[in-house]
Amino acid sequence: MNLFSRPASSNNVERLRKLDVFRDLTFKEAREVSELLHERVYEENEIIFEEGDLGHGIFIVISGKVRADPSHELLKTAVLEFGPGEMLGELSLFEEAPRTATVIAVERTVMVALFRSEFFALLTKNRNIGVKVLVRMSTTMCRRARRCLLRERHIPSL
Amino acid sequence: MLVTILATCLVLYLFQRVIWLVVPGLFALMIYYGLRPLAEQLALRGVRHETAVASMVAVLLLVTAGVVLKLAPPLLAKVAHLQGAFDHYVEGGQNLLRKTIQALEELAPVLKRASLNKQVDLQIHQFTDQFAEKHLGAMALELLKWLPSLFLVPYLTYFLLKDSTNLKRFLIRSIPNAFFEKSLLLFARLDESLRSFFQGLLVLTFLDTLCLASGLFALGVSPALFLGLTAAVLSWIPYLGSVIGCILVVVVAAADFPDRPSIAYSCLALFLFVRLMDDFVFLPLTIGRKLHIHPLLSVLMFFLGATVAGGTGLVLALPVLGVMSVVSDTVAQIVTDRRLRARYRAARDFAITSHMSLQGRLRPPNQDLPPLGET
Repeated sequence: MNLFSRPASSNNVERLRKLDVFRDLTFKEAREVSELLHERVYEENEIIFEEGDLGHGIFIVISGKVRADPSHELLKTAVLEFGPGEMLGELSLFEEAPRTATVIAVERTVMVALFRSEFFALLTKNRNIGVKVLVRMSTTMCRRARRCLLRERHIPSL
Repeated sequence: MLVTILATCLVLYLFQRVIWLVVPGLFALMIYYGLRPLAEQLALRGVRHETAVASMVAVLLLVTAGVVLKLAPPLLAKVAHLQGAFDHYVEGGQNLLRKTIQALEELAPVLKRASLNKQVDLQIHQFTDQFAEKHLGAMALELLKWLPSLFLVPYLTYFLLKDSTNLKRFLIRSIPNAFFEKSLLLFARLDESLRSFFQGLLVLTFLDTLCLASGLFALGVSPALFLGLTAAVLSWIPYLGSVIGCILVVVVAAADFPDRPSIAYSCLALFLFVRLMDDFVFLPLTIGRKLHIHPLLSVLMFFLGATVAGGTGLVLALPVLGVMSVVSDTVAQIVTDRRLRARYRAARDFAITSHMSLQGRLRPPNQDLPPLGET
């Protein structure tokens, strides 16, 4: 009997592998990552984090939709809704800095959170996974930064 | 700060009440933090987590069994002559003390006039007369009483290594969304604080043992490794432990070399040297730098800990204070953050409203609500 763990089911692991950030992982690697993720359910209009909060990790939307509400002018030109598969809060993963926008659940939303210290533990524990996840995250952040520079309608890095 | 100190005292008091569980728990935590890097290394090399943990605990048990089997026969043989061995070492210590006082009396006649030698001899005789018969048996029985709870150590270590991540996730699942990130931060800080302390303590014990055993070996005192390790472990008890360790080694040296007091004095000098190295080199490099506790507060906590929980309080004062500082800092951040509390209240109200409306929908139609179709 295992009192504490809810073993990751194959469905959950497969669901994880469909997310852009974990797309390159093998099934075994995704199962290892799923052990580090914290699933949270947010009700409609519930705040996920607020601008100015000290951020400690990223959130990835599994189902539902969330809306960012930034006070910065530059971010206001962006697409401010995040749907399934999209990550937010990634700036705080690399630097413990205040959140740049308030994020609210538009509807009932299921998200997974990856905490900063656990992410860095993963980078040292399994470099293969670390590199794959890091490359995916960097790609997304580069794409967002480029679109921001080109003043396209974009999803911002928060 | 006052709240942290009070909370530390309360925890120390409670720990003293369940000391039979706290001691194996602490040993298990220490071994857990010692073995965790190895488990992570094995996982890095592709070994499954459960296999890595099981094999490490199995190796640990085999090593412990090997050490016990190696050390038990000579120790049991000595227990049979407990009174004799005790007398031998007390006599050795007494001789050394007598010679030292005589030398001092020659240097300072005022001590001779005060009959210091006779006074000290009398005090020691009063203390040691029948000590072994009266107390050593009871102490051995007390030790035997502790043995069953020490069997918990490998068991607890195994589950800590295997399930600590799951236990943390299990606890975090029960925390409301509003406090989720802060709670994660709290767990990370606690883990870091405990890891720093226990890994630092293990490194410090290793360095102390190495220095003392090398010095004792060079002086010809045996068993050098056993004495070095015992003294290093005793120094986990702040201040008092070092003194006891020092007396133990000096007495052994004095008893084994009754005609060469210089060896006992050299042991004393070795202890002082290792103590200085500890305070100025090893401790800041291992534990002190990471716990960030002010020296004045450390001393205060030793006294408070000893008053509230005796020896347990003395040993555990610093680690518990370190943990309680982290907990109180984070809890204070949560409690004083109005936005977090407002978010928690809003989510709770939403949950209550949803629950009530769901109950309303599920209520049988023959009670308050009109039958379906009429609405």
